Amino acid sequence: MRALVTGANGFLGRHVVGALLARGIEVRAMVRPAARLEAFDWPSSVEVFRADLRTSRELRRAFEGVDVLLHLAAVVSGGEDAQFAGTVAGTERLLDAMAASACQRLVLCSTFSVYDYSSIGRTLDEDSPLHQGPDVYTRDGYTISKWWQERVARRFVEKYGWDLTVLRPGFIWGRDHGYLAALGQRFGRHHLVIGPLTRMPMTHVENCADIFALAAADARARGQTLNVVDGPGERIWTYLSDYMRGSDQPGWRLPVPYWLAIRVVRLAFATVFRSATKVPSILIPRRLESRLKPLRFENRMLRETLGWTPPLGYQECLERTYGPTAPTATGRPGAASLAVANRRFNFRNRFSKSS
Amino acid sequence: MKAALIGAGQIARQHLSCLKTLPGVELAAICDLSPATAEAAAERYDIRAWFTDHRAMLEKVRPDVVHVTTPPTSHFGLAMDSLDADAHVIVEKPATSAFKELETLVRRAQEAGRHVIEDYNYVFNRAPQEILRRIESGEFGAVTHVEVLICLDLLGPGGFADPNSPHPALTLAGGAIADFLPHLASLAHFFVGPHRTAQTVWTKRKSSLLPFDEFRAALDAERGTAALGFSSSSQPDAFWLRVYGERMQATANLYETRLTFDGPRNVPKPLRPFFSGLEEGKTIRHAALATLLRKFKGPGALEGLWELIARTYRALADGSALPVTASHVLEVNRMVEALKPKEQRP
Repeated sequence: MRALVTGANGFLGRHVVGALLARGIEVRAMVRPAARLEAFDWPSSVEVFRADLRTSRELRRAFEGVDVLLHLAAVVSGGEDAQFAGTVAGTERLLDAMAASACQRLVLCSTFSVYDYSSIGRTLDEDSPLHQGPDVYTRDGYTISKWWQERVARRFVEKYGWDLTVLRPGFIWGRDHGYLAALGQRFGRHHLVIGPLTRMPMTHVENCADIFALAAADARARGQTLNVVDGPGERIWTYLSDYMRGSDQPGWRLPVPYWLAIRVVRLAFATVFRSATKVPSILIPRRLESRLKPLRFENRMLRETLGWTPPLGYQECLERTYGPTAPTATGRPGAASLAVANRRFNFRNRFSKSS
Repeated sequence: MKAALIGAGQIARQHLSCLKTLPGVELAAICDLSPATAEAAAERYDIRAWFTDHRAMLEKVRPDVVHVTTPPTSHFGLAMDSLDADAHVIVEKPATSAFKELETLVRRAQEAGRHVIEDYNYVFNRAPQEILRRIESGEFGAVTHVEVLICLDLLGPGGFADPNSPHPALTLAGGAIADFLPHLASLAHFFVGPHRTAQTVWTKRKSSLLPFDEFRAALDAERGTAALGFSSSSQPDAFWLRVYGERMQATANLYETRLTFDGPRNVPKPLRPFFSGLEEGKTIRHAALATLLRKFKGPGALEGLWELIARTYRALADGSALPVTASHVLEVNRMVEALKPKEQRP
């Protein structure tokens, strides 16, 4: 089996490449023309295909001999229009090229952001309501572009009869990506922690990559839409403590109950910012909800459909993220497991040597 | 009036947002090569129809006005097709990539009894319009000189130097800076009229995809002189406009709301700088607050685009003089042509 991976040098993509190789799947890694790959140390069996989904004219060649497309590429920085052009129009161009090939299988990386948090009561699962247009345009550029990307993919699948698996990861964390938007608001080294006891929908990048590789290989994933979280998630306060210790960035933390924060923001929005269009996300009630609303998250569908359990537990994930001196659950460096952790850390970063 | 738009990218958002506020204007259709981009814009702005083929849109919708907001090299063909469909055209700057194309476009518009309006949005920002008001009232005195300097980091994130996806403006003579020449030229033309001679300096300070990253020009024009410039090295980002009159001088940063005047004062001459400084400080403090507040709402620095579009539609509806006429467009683009580099690389 040969897989085409878009965004292959991205934070998730580089781990997905490693996970596919570990399952014996050949990989064609699509990266942007100017991407620097020296740090990745990919084996020679990985075929690199350089293209930019926004402009490249040679996308059809990328699908030659490909059995499955893992579409991870998205533009996550820049303005709303740049994100839309890169993520959505780029997906259109990519899937147009796929339609001219023999490839019939698509695994799409979506996101929890497509869910309409405002309409969800207690538990967010695969049956929870999604945003509806035109309401979606009140959300941030990332949400709009990812919601549209999934919409575009489903239209292509319906038109061409492909097999589709949509994976919707929660917050993906890992080495050099320890800080998450769900942690509240950062002011330099200090943090406003909104809802400190809320559990976050999170997945470590290596666990997440493992499920993408499994979905590509396992026929049971076909036709499925699955949320990807490692479990019920860590509490914001706990995870932030680990992040601050692990990244050696001490600072103050001011806890604020979620119910108080959302009421203040709603009041401010109804009075001061009523018709404003360029307010920071955290001051817009519906965007605050999508980052911080306390809900239950679970991976029941993932377990039942694919029999998947995360390969790495939370403590191991901390070690992968912060190195052998990562904090433990009790807040002490994991000195006892230093040698083991060191060995694992070096091994697992074969495919993730970032600068 | 029925409005349609071709090219649903970043600047299109400002056109569409403005059109939604104009009485008597119906946003009838939108077109983009990307179906999702066109459909998303139609959903967001409640536009009745969306297309991926502009000719199909023109034929089916028969708009009164077409806004062309695509990359510059496609403007000419799209504007010509729109004129052929009997529509007026509001085209983003630069209207065409070559002056000959512009002449053809203007001639075609005149033959068809239609108008071509190029977007000179910064001319219609509050600051230049307030300076104009004082000039027309006689308070400012005759303008002798104007300076326009844009400082903008072209090489920064999201800028023009993305090595993965070269910006369409890089194909213009002068590269990314050429995208800003209509702003410089339209402001110079607004205050001192058509140019007679122009001297230019195009240089490159940093290694990048850009053919040039610095530009300076000195112009002799019908009503005064002008010094124009673009710097992608000088920071912070700013859009400085300085107008020198026989009685007053004005300074504005068009990326902000700052506008200060310095002129005669009814105080002893030695005290004039002191009182001028006090007043300038007060004006700048107020402008700082206004700049902050406008970040929350509205078009921000693109306020002039909204004003230009509103004035254009009013003029088209009641048959009065357009804010940007065919002679303006030709004269500004003659100036742009004179400012372009003679060679693509220094």
